[in-house]
Amino acid sequence: MSAKGIRGNPDLRRGLGSKTTDRDKIMEDGPAGDWLALRSDQLLKWIDDAVYNASEATGMREVVDRVTRPIFNFAQRFSPHPLHFGIMCCAIEMGQASAPDHDIDRLGLVYRSSPRQCDVLIVNGPVCEKLRPKLKTLYEQMPEPKWVIAMGECAISGGPYWDSYSVVAGADTFMPVDVYIPGCPVRPEALMHGFLTLQKKIREKEPGMFLRR
Amino acid sequence: MNFKDLQKLLKANEGVTNISTLRENVIKFDLDKSISKEFFKKLKEEYYFEHCSLITAIDNQPDFELVYHLSCLSGELSVGNTKMAAMVEVHIHLTRDSPSIDSVSDLWFGANWHEREAFDLMGIYFIGHPDLRRVLLPEGFAGHPLRKDYVYEIHEEEW
Repeated sequence: MSAKGIRGNPDLRRGLGSKTTDRDKIMEDGPAGDWLALRSDQLLKWIDDAVYNASEATGMREVVDRVTRPIFNFAQRFSPHPLHFGIMCCAIEMGQASAPDHDIDRLGLVYRSSPRQCDVLIVNGPVCEKLRPKLKTLYEQMPEPKWVIAMGECAISGGPYWDSYSVVAGADTFMPVDVYIPGCPVRPEALMHGFLTLQKKIREKEPGMFLRR
Repeated sequence: MNFKDLQKLLKANEGVTNISTLRENVIKFDLDKSISKEFFKKLKEEYYFEHCSLITAIDNQPDFELVYHLSCLSGELSVGNTKMAAMVEVHIHLTRDSPSIDSVSDLWFGANWHEREAFDLMGIYFIGHPDLRRVLLPEGFAGHPLRKDYVYEIHEEEW
């Protein structure tokens, strides 16, 4: 539930044990809305707005955009750091992909162990009901911009466990997925192709300083 | 004294029925639910079955069946003058209306999570268990999915 949901609902607020005060009232009617609990995308949008308005007013937007966009794009395209997070057998293939045979490090893929340092979340196995909130937390902890790769049949649709009582039918039922890689398990070459597809997607989207305009 | 004598010894107990030998040093028998706790205590303290390998539940519609695998690995099981190692497979039948039984997790600490699993997936209630929560499925999951009459409903979360 978003912060707005809690703050906007007086019943819930009373349930939390706090009384409605003038301070709450000010916060509700304030210009920034729910500024106390900014999500990462809200913060980014706020920064975007501020920078865009300033640069638009001074006429620097065109200049800065033209200079920084290719550089930012290049940097993001060739350093999509994935989270080192393995669920099931596709994780073995993920390990094999970074081994000397299919040395995936040459694409700039360095596995990081903290979601705070990552750009790509690889969902490489069936997501069970108990794992789902944890995986969503991992996704929300990653800084923007971020991408999700669904690796293997289980992450795409649930795979052989699609009608199970405890397995979620695909990672895209609870988080946005950018690239789907079919296979059971996915071969390292296919994972590499998935990352190349992601690079192509990043290039076509042309992220830069004014990406979201 | 040998393995046959152990079988006779167990058979003499009240509540033990259907005793048979599965293979060498492995005895299988049915146990009455009402005296289960006393008998398990006796198995542990008199016969030195110090290891509880497995507790699992089966849904033979309409009744439930609990299976306990207890083993004496140290060879301290004394029958007469000789000491030996043995294993027993205890079957207990429960009715579907009251799927509850006394917990043995105070006798064998390893039984704790086995009982939690049987509760989680089959809905067997273990009376006297210190911490009877779900172990494999998330909190708030409705129903016990390994029961034959369990109906699965797909639930999706908005994102």
